[in-house]
Amino acid sequence: MDPKDLYKQTLLKHSKSPHNEGELIDSTHQAKLTNSLCGDEVTVYLKIESNSIQRATFTAQCCSICTASASMLTQKVQGLPTEEAHYFAQKITTQLQDKDKPLVLSADDELQSLEGVKQFKSRIRCATLPWEAMLASLASSSE
Amino acid sequence: MAKPSNTIQPPAIPDILQKAREDFPILKRTVNGKPLVYLDNGASTQKPQAVIDVLNRYYSNENSNIHRGVHLLSVEATSAYEEARHTITDFIGANDDSEIIFTRGTTESVNLVAHSFVEPQIQAGDEILITHMEHHANIVPWQLLCERTGAILKVAPIDENGALDLEAFKNLLSEKTKLASFVHVSNAIGVINPVAEMIAAAKEKGVPTLLDAAQSIQHMPLNVKELDCDFLAFSGHKIFAPTGIGVLYGKRALLDEMRPYQGGGDMISTVSFEGTTFKEPPSRFEAGTPHIAGAIGLKAAIDYLQSIGLETIARYEEELLKYATVQLRAIDGLRIIGNPAKRAGAISFVMENAHSHDVGTILDTEGVAIRSGHHCCEPLMKRLGVSATTRASFSFYNNHTDVDTLVSALKKVSILFE
Ligand SMILES: Cc1ncc(COP(=O)(O)O)c(C=O)c1O
Repeated sequence: MDPKDLYKQTLLKHSKSPHNEGELIDSTHQAKLTNSLCGDEVTVYLKIESNSIQRATFTAQCCSICTASASMLTQKVQGLPTEEAHYFAQKITTQLQDKDKPLVLSADDELQSLEGVKQFKSRIRCATLPWEAMLASLASSSE
Repeated sequence: MAKPSNTIQPPAIPDILQKAREDFPILKRTVNGKPLVYLDNGASTQKPQAVIDVLNRYYSNENSNIHRGVHLLSVEATSAYEEARHTITDFIGANDDSEIIFTRGTTESVNLVAHSFVEPQIQAGDEILITHMEHHANIVPWQLLCERTGAILKVAPIDENGALDLEAFKNLLSEKTKLASFVHVSNAIGVINPVAEMIAAAKEKGVPTLLDAAQSIQHMPLNVKELDCDFLAFSGHKIFAPTGIGVLYGKRALLDEMRPYQGGGDMISTVSFEGTTFKEPPSRFEAGTPHIAGAIGLKAAIDYLQSIGLETIARYEEELLKYATVQLRAIDGLRIIGNPAKRAGAISFVMENAHSHDVGTILDTEGVAIRSGHHCCEPLMKRLGVSATTRASFSFYNNHTDVDTLVSALKKVSILFE
């Protein structure tokens, strides 16, 4: 196994300078999840208005894969209707977890750079954790 | 800041250890196409052929239940199990075989002390004293006990190097303290605690002590009479024996006063619906069919270890750790976490740009097995200002080539994440 299959350039770029990192003061939804295996922690903050995600940010104490996944997540879901974000989060987590099927996103989707985790079983959860946190965040009731 | 120089001679391997590596079949395998470099001995140690053979022999020839049948197999299994107990008595310098209780491991040993020794005599407002560097196994059982009883968990502080504040520990001992329970060697950062002083201080205040020897028993000679601890716990799988077997040593006078841990077969004298009487220690604390093969495997592991000698092992490992420390310090961006005056077993570190989980994956692709994460010591990690570390933990079968492979793999990490 070559670590370069896992740590693709796009992924490293996002992990070194993540987008939308920080608390979102006027968030309407948020949820924090922990990977008990390694102690990684991700919180996803969403600002939802009229069933659409206006802003998405995250805070994390986690590895490069998790950070990159969270960074790309916030870029991906910003502006999406909640239902669509929900659908996409489910799709990408299922695809990442399914060892028999490839990850198929649109050709220019940076999230494609996560596909390397499929070869590294112990790292799949690192990639899915932010998406699970977003799903939990969507399910959290707004205050 | 200039990096410290890394000119240090690799330690000489004592004659008796030259061949030891060959006694461990798993060390011959490859991982991801590379020879296995096993540096996760803190999590679990590998098993020598002698232990594997004994398990094989037991299941092929002796397997039976103990303390039950009059038939030959049962008699043989019983005597093998009790011989194993005796080996442990001698190994840790206990007075009598009845002071050795077989458990599933350190975790169960601690829970047994909490349930059978502390709980019956503790009241709301009483205290349990631990330290800030404990494994979760020596934190959570006490938290649960405190929840049930209204007792208070006191935590002796450590400094930023990971060393215990001995004065603070002493000051926290009082007539309210029902037990002081602490780790001998930290699994997360390798610090050796001044346990002789800690036990003496507790004695002075009349406080009983439980020593978590999970990470010391395989690295240094240990004698419960010299230490004078009241209880001592360790796990078989960290001392070259199978998983699922461990030991609780307790002074007989204390064991005599303790209530059973679990109820079931083998721990009773007589059972009737009017009332049941319990056996004497150690049987009182060993309800049900135990891990017979595990106990026999543990004996084989200890016999093996003693054929090498723990003094030899301690001396060699100290040199190997020194060598590793110097080599690791010389890596750019690597910071060792915990800087103890005395170290055994483990070195923990963080890398400037790479998270420990990423370090672990890249090392794995090089065949190097280490552990990354919080090492079941979340409070300790928080105190030292890190959320996770990479830990290389050593055994006598490791050598300087293992260290060199680790170091060159870490250099690859630095390059990828620079
Ligand atoms: C210091 C220490 N205490 C307790 C334990 C728990 O041991 P076990 O999981 O074998 O019960 C460990 C295991 O990692 C340990 O390192």
